[in-house]
Amino acid sequence: MSSIPAIQQSAGKGAARAAARRANRKVGGYDRRPHVVIYVLLALVVLIGLLPLYYTLVIGSSDPVAIAQKALPQLFPDLSIFDKFKEVVNAQSFSFWQAVWNSVIIAVVVSASTVMFSTLAGFAFAKLRFPGRRGLLVFVIATMAVPTQLGVVPLYIVMSKLGWIGHLQAVIVPSLVGAFGVFWMTQYLEEALPYELIEAARVDGASMFRTFWAIALPAARPAAAMLALFTFVAQWVNFFWPSIVLNNQNPTLPLAVRLLQQNYFVDYSLIMAGVFLMTLPLLVLFAFAGRQLVAGIMAGAVKG
Amino acid sequence: MRKTTRKFLAVTAGVASVALLATACSGDEDPGDATSGGATGDSSKPITLTVATFNNFGYTDELLAEYKKTHPNVTVKQTVAAKSEDARTNLTTKLAAGGAGLADVEAIEIDWLPELVQSGDKFLDLNSDEVKDRWLEFKTKPATTADGKLIGYGTDVGPEAICYRSDLFKAAGLPTDRAEVAELLGGENATWDDYFKVGKTFADKSDSAWFDSAGAIYQALINQQEFAYENADGSVVPLADNTTAQEAYNTVTSDEVQALSAHLGQWSEDWTAAFQKDGFATMLCPAWMTGPIEQNSGGITGWDVADVFPGGGGNWGGSYLTVPAAGANAEAAKELAAWLTSPEIQIKAFENAGTFPSQTEALQDPALTGAKNAFFNDAPVGEIFGNRYAAIKVTPFKGPNYFSVHTTVTDAITKVDVEQSADAQTAWQGALDAFGALGL
Amino acid sequence: MPVKSPVAPEDELDPLPPKTRRVGFSQTLSRWDVKVSPYLYISPFFILFLITGLFPILYTGYVSVHQWQMLQGQGDFVGFKNFTDVFGQPDFWKSLRNTFSIFLLSSIPQVIAAILIAALLDQNLRAKTFWRMGVLLPYVVAPVAVGLIFGRLFADQSGLINSWLTAIGLPAVQWHVSPLASHFAIATMVNFRWTGYNALIFLAAMQAVPRELYEAAIIDGAGRVRQFFSVTIPQIRATVIFIVITSTIGGLQIFDEPRVFDSTGQGGASRQWLTMTLYLYNTGWSGQYNLGRAAAIAWLLFLLILAIGMVNFFVTQRIATGSGAPSKREIKAAKQRYDAQRKSA
Repeated sequence: MSSIPAIQQSAGKGAARAAARRANRKVGGYDRRPHVVIYVLLALVVLIGLLPLYYTLVIGSSDPVAIAQKALPQLFPDLSIFDKFKEVVNAQSFSFWQAVWNSVIIAVVVSASTVMFSTLAGFAFAKLRFPGRRGLLVFVIATMAVPTQLGVVPLYIVMSKLGWIGHLQAVIVPSLVGAFGVFWMTQYLEEALPYELIEAARVDGASMFRTFWAIALPAARPAAAMLALFTFVAQWVNFFWPSIVLNNQNPTLPLAVRLLQQNYFVDYSLIMAGVFLMTLPLLVLFAFAGRQLVAGIMAGAVKG
Repeated sequence: MRKTTRKFLAVTAGVASVALLATACSGDEDPGDATSGGATGDSSKPITLTVATFNNFGYTDELLAEYKKTHPNVTVKQTVAAKSEDARTNLTTKLAAGGAGLADVEAIEIDWLPELVQSGDKFLDLNSDEVKDRWLEFKTKPATTADGKLIGYGTDVGPEAICYRSDLFKAAGLPTDRAEVAELLGGENATWDDYFKVGKTFADKSDSAWFDSAGAIYQALINQQEFAYENADGSVVPLADNTTAQEAYNTVTSDEVQALSAHLGQWSEDWTAAFQKDGFATMLCPAWMTGPIEQNSGGITGWDVADVFPGGGGNWGGSYLTVPAAGANAEAAKELAAWLTSPEIQIKAFENAGTFPSQTEALQDPALTGAKNAFFNDAPVGEIFGNRYAAIKVTPFKGPNYFSVHTTVTDAITKVDVEQSADAQTAWQGALDAFGALGL
Repeated sequence: MPVKSPVAPEDELDPLPPKTRRVGFSQTLSRWDVKVSPYLYISPFFILFLITGLFPILYTGYVSVHQWQMLQGQGDFVGFKNFTDVFGQPDFWKSLRNTFSIFLLSSIPQVIAAILIAALLDQNLRAKTFWRMGVLLPYVVAPVAVGLIFGRLFADQSGLINSWLTAIGLPAVQWHVSPLASHFAIATMVNFRWTGYNALIFLAAMQAVPRELYEAAIIDGAGRVRQFFSVTIPQIRATVIFIVITSTIGGLQIFDEPRVFDSTGQGGASRQWLTMTLYLYNTGWSGQYNLGRAAAIAWLLFLLILAIGMVNFFVTQRIATGSGAPSKREIKAAKQRYDAQRKSA
């Protein structure tokens, strides 16, 4: 029996995927379609998750009077929310598109670098033997236990010495690679990447880096896709640190949305419209990344 | 010695990180690294001054652009934080980190003054003949350090009146006209006893409570004391011996007054919802509170403002503009702050954002005296709050420990009034314990 | 298991001509490659940590042994006085209790729910993408919206939950009074946001479990539940450890939810839902602006998380290895049986 990765190398990804599907279909037991109860349970989970988004739409299309009167001012969103969207996009106190652009740059750069460096480090920690490996890994995990709140003052000192206050790199650089990602990739590759594959590549005379590139990276794909997604979202909604080092001349989206409530007189419908606009790109990303994720998992299931 | 160590540490760290990054550290854009407190106001070089505000100070771009007319070389930029808490965290963090990245002019709220006045050396002294007598003493005194430095120019104030629901008054057989209500509550010489007495009359005839929150009443009572928790030299009065605080506490937690309370914590969800449910008929109401009341009372008509406040005048809230001493253009920034807090500009800010000006001269301005609030039954709010402003006589002294001590008592009141999880006696004991833990 | 040279990308880093048999320079290079590469691969993290992580930690340690006000800056050296002061604060012990309580109420149900949802997602579903992304939805909604919604749910008098409770004749719960009720409400917010996220992490691990193992288990007559416990859980051991540790670290640092649970952000009138991070923040950034004491709290919290993290790590490893995971030999035997069966089919 030729394994899926072999097919992938000789005949390309599509063929590999088809082969995987075929292999799955041949086997009767595990791959039968699940019972309807499972769909019902999942639907419940997704519904609960959808409620907040739905709620933001409803509040976004209500007027302040109705919002003050009832917890649920109306049952369904309506078109009036588009006027609110316009109001957000044309807000006076900040440049909306500048904020979107900043958020995109930060999230893309940080996700890409996090995935790259985390996969490299995870590969080393999970599959290579070197002196101090265990101790260093414990150290990486330990850094997660440092309470973020107190790092703010010293980190700010570092950033101001570098002259980065008010610039995007003050947000980007500290989060280029995090302990979470390294730990995550380590644990994933531990399970998903059989030693035999690495040994085979080494026997063939591949260098360390080539082994990483050709063997570890494909195996890490599903985890990498997820890490990218998580990192992207986390950066997208990040508020505290950006609010300290950036300002409304050069904001990110969460800062901008918060600026919508700069009054004693909070217009919740406007804020919720802003929140929804802020979430929308993530939903679009989900639609794409989701397909990638499923495909990645299918193609990346390396079997020894 | 101490200072040098810290500077050395910061510099080493900075150098180390620069070396590590091996980046050519581009020229610092932030004023603040070089501590050149008080550069000359050389008025020919083009400079950019930043003003950091929060909420809405009413400084629109057009208004800031006006500064160019008299100072052609100065461009003014504003950075806005959404909430005062955000601005506060921002300011304290940057001050703690040595002042880098601060704006040339930083807005602060009156509640932050105690700790900022302690570090008056971080701010430029703003005393000048030009602004002498611009404000009442109660506005300038809290912003003055022990050695006489003025660290902030007042922008707006929160003179307090009584907001009331005329429809609920009517249903309970009380007068509804704002002048009559002011009279009913005691007029010029209104006392807290008057206020509670009328409340009793009202509560007997209505299902609604008389006021929203015992905590708010306590705050107003304490704000009318010159020395609530600390002596003039800043030493803290032990809470167990503090008859002033204890009397105020006993008043608001007494059975009679508790019977008038809606038992709500201000700004909580329940408080917000109570506006819709006729939860209470009156509120202690600084000028800026008219906004939240209107917002929470969607669809409710009947709010009005009475030109009266128990126990003399009262102030709640208000802001200042400060100039951090570390700024590269400190002198020019001082000039800008003086201009921004001048009566005529603050009137424009009032027209833009409804912030009630703190400059005595501004109170005579027709734009202010003629201001009416449609939601409050067209009450002449400009005139009413102007009168309330003039009635403020006491400047409460707030030292560095004011809020820590204040919180121990307000927590106790919350237990009695909102949570109803303890009786007044037990809760007071809790306040004494919490005070003990402060280690003052 | 094919042993083929993988398709190489353009790779200048490859010093090795394939199939070399010569001893010499290239071998030395390759030995260096083996020795140095691992350190090279983990270096980005450590370099960045040196710049943005280590200095803050050392700085915090330095601050914690001094009298240090937020604004006035450094005062006298006081040794461990800040630490002993913290131990003398009733609020510290309260925050410790609350932190544990909220951590247990959030982490345990969260991990169990996440693993169950992942098991549901690990079926051969129609519209896989939709379900996977749907589960992750709560993670993307901005905290401001979540705060608003839960505020309206958990308000003591006007909240939806209490109005439902009273509608069916039960007493209303004082969410902002009773410590346990407030912990429950806060834990609910935390769980809402993170359960789906953890479920997806579990799912990724489950997807990597070789399907042959399931087939073998089916042939051996194991039902779904038995498969789950004998195949799935042992196979995703590393991920379980990962989730338990990250949930522990995150759960002991809960900050936003208790902070927005009421309008003051002080953790309640009796500090009944004050968590340790909130306590450290309020000590440094408000009230007395005691940065020295806040730094001491930060260090104590750091040590606490480390200790619990370690305990968790060893316990989880124990459980995961000792739970009847099939040994390598058993797996091989099962595979052989399975292959034999497929050939005969």
